[in-house]
Amino acid sequence: MGRFFIAMKAFFRVLGGGIGADQIDAVLRGEPARLAAPPESATIPGSPKTVKPSSSKPEPARPARSDAVTLLATLQREARLIDLVQESLDGYSDAQVGAAARDVLRNCRKVLDQSFAIQPIRSEPEGTPVDVAQGYDPGVYRLTGNVSGDGPFRGSVVHHGWKIGHCQLPTWTGSREAAEVVAAVEVEIS
Amino acid sequence: MASRFVIGIDLGTTNSVVAYCELGGKQPEVHLLPIPQLVATGTVDERPQLPSYMYLPASHELAGGAFDLPWQTGSRFAVGELARVSAAAAPERTVGGAKSWLCHSKVDRRQPILPWVPGLESESSDIARVSPVLASQRYLEHLVAAWDRAFPDTPLRDQLVVVTVPASFDAAARELTREAALAAGLPEQFVLLEEPQAAVYAWLVGTGDRWRQMLRVGDTLLVCDVGGGTTDLTMVGVAEEQGELTLQRIAVGEHLLVGGDNMDLALAHRVAELFAAKGVQLNAWQSVSLWHACRQAKETLLAEGGAPTHTISVLGRGSKLIGGTVSLEVDRQQVVDLLRNGFFPQCTLTDRPARRRSSGFQEVGLPYAADVGITRHVAAFVQANSSEGRMPVTHVLFNGGVFKATMLRERLLEVIGSWSGAGSPRELAGNADLDFAVARGAAYYGWAKQHGGVRIRGGTARSYYVGIETSGLAIPGAPRPLRALCVVPFGMEEGTSCDVPSAPIGLVVGEAAQFRFFSSAARQTDHPGDLLASWNEEELAETDSLETTLPAETEEADAYLPVKFQSKVTELGMFELWCVSTQDDRRWKLEFNVRPEQDA
Repeated sequence: MGRFFIAMKAFFRVLGGGIGADQIDAVLRGEPARLAAPPESATIPGSPKTVKPSSSKPEPARPARSDAVTLLATLQREARLIDLVQESLDGYSDAQVGAAARDVLRNCRKVLDQSFAIQPIRSEPEGTPVDVAQGYDPGVYRLTGNVSGDGPFRGSVVHHGWKIGHCQLPTWTGSREAAEVVAAVEVEIS
Repeated sequence: MASRFVIGIDLGTTNSVVAYCELGGKQPEVHLLPIPQLVATGTVDERPQLPSYMYLPASHELAGGAFDLPWQTGSRFAVGELARVSAAAAPERTVGGAKSWLCHSKVDRRQPILPWVPGLESESSDIARVSPVLASQRYLEHLVAAWDRAFPDTPLRDQLVVVTVPASFDAAARELTREAALAAGLPEQFVLLEEPQAAVYAWLVGTGDRWRQMLRVGDTLLVCDVGGGTTDLTMVGVAEEQGELTLQRIAVGEHLLVGGDNMDLALAHRVAELFAAKGVQLNAWQSVSLWHACRQAKETLLAEGGAPTHTISVLGRGSKLIGGTVSLEVDRQQVVDLLRNGFFPQCTLTDRPARRRSSGFQEVGLPYAADVGITRHVAAFVQANSSEGRMPVTHVLFNGGVFKATMLRERLLEVIGSWSGAGSPRELAGNADLDFAVARGAAYYGWAKQHGGVRIRGGTARSYYVGIETSGLAIPGAPRPLRALCVVPFGMEEGTSCDVPSAPIGLVVGEAAQFRFFSSAARQTDHPGDLLASWNEEELAETDSLETTLPAETEEADAYLPVKFQSKVTELGMFELWCVSTQDDRRWKLEFNVRPEQDA
């Protein structure tokens, strides 16, 4: 008798539409029933919904934003580099540009240090003689001047090169609409 | 399950840091834990420090999961760098300095009073205020979650955890810290360690066994920790025990609310005056930006070998960066003089910090120090704790971001040296990372506890007293005279308990019994059972009262039970006071009453 009542309830629930209909359909097709999302505990502000960080549960897919845009946004937020670069330099004296650029450049350096730990490839001072072995990687060394033969070459360092120590950018967790935003609009409410 | 790691947590006023060390190794290798946190809405980055700030956004700012963390979606508040940045832009929504509130006994620290807006009776209803205890709990929860994410196989609640507190934290403040920590998920057995001691441990782990060659018996080490908002002083003595050099914590100073932030503000005020002299009036946004610019400028100007002038710029708001910039040059020597003479002035040993003149009505805000001359506070501390047999300060250990500037360290050494004829004290070099030393030291302390490395003997930093009303003729309108019964002597060791010898105290069964509670950092010679009839106001500081309710077990009304006190300092650094019945074995624990006094 219990099954009859369940069947009647299911019949009327599906007819009425709504949440139950999808689930019953899923069950009839043999898929596991998807439970409704638990209600948001919005009454107590700030109570965390702790998500157990087990490796089996994948973190929900986030709308992607290119790391390049994240880097631009970081440089703008911490150093205001985009504001400086986008402003036309016409009409300003060197002193004015310099006064503004100093802080921006210093903060850019901080961002780059934090995110990339940029360091020179060669530690000798520029101008010291150096040997470049045969079979060098042209991506690491660029030879100019009187270059002949296959090597090894002897010359002097003109630019010590730059390389990164690590590559660590902030993770972005915003919405799809904000994926193209480098700096948000600032509106002052009076 | 045996712990694999010891974790040191520096729950600082401005920044929190987590360091850890594997317990199994022969040598302690201490590492810092990178802490993921929101640096802007929708942006999570790993930083070595978690700024101790909390931002309470409006509901419309929460759209799109803007405050999500890797371990938590739908978060309705933000802890860390984002909150620190918003402290300047939206101070009415940002909680900062919660730690200093924990030892402020004039407010109920479990009530949602932060963000603190003086004069406002929590009108803005959409801001979900928090209590200092809850704010501290949230910072710790964030740190716990960061650890659990980095080390999912060894969760924090199974590890050995050491949390640092200022040495000036009294028993009530420690109790509240412990409450916040347990609610955040720390293991029951976590240990509280004093911050200056942690700084010494950090120095020990950096120096290794060579420390025994650097210090001699009878040396006195002053630990001077000046951070962003607070200054803490501790004195450690070097003694000898069974032929081995040991370190003993002698005295601690008060929790002073003066630090690097005061210096930034002083510089900002001076530069604002210079701008005004040039005819440039700064608006509110520019003033905040100036403050940040001065923080950067201070670091450059106080560093060695700087240029004679320095340009301070306030960048233009909006996208007209160059067009809106106002800047001026400051003379380096003037700035150095302002900061060095304002905050580390020359003074004699008998100079005392200026006291705030209390007017008729009392404002219940944080008790910021009236005198920012840190050397005067140091003088008062050294004078109060120097005795005939003890040598003057021979070594100084610096901690805190302010002392990155060499000239400030040199000035303090010079001033201390001028007080005694023995020349400037030596600086204990080696604490390379002044920002991270406390957390590293805490981790090393935990390792040393397991492996038997050198430990600083401390015991309680204060003596504690219970207020006993005397029986005698009652006078209408006047309270009964109060005597202070010493229940914990200065320097009582951890893991010991003590039966306080006294006449039995009468408690009424079925009613709440409340005892006023005092502490003293100055009175170091009282024994348990000493009854003080009168005392200097400066010697004894009243803190939260203790209370307990004896359950009414028999039908007798007004049953009167004689009890005696038993005090205990646990291994974990916590203080407990028990009432023990003199007639049978029953005992009741007194709890701290952290609500403010009704008739202040």
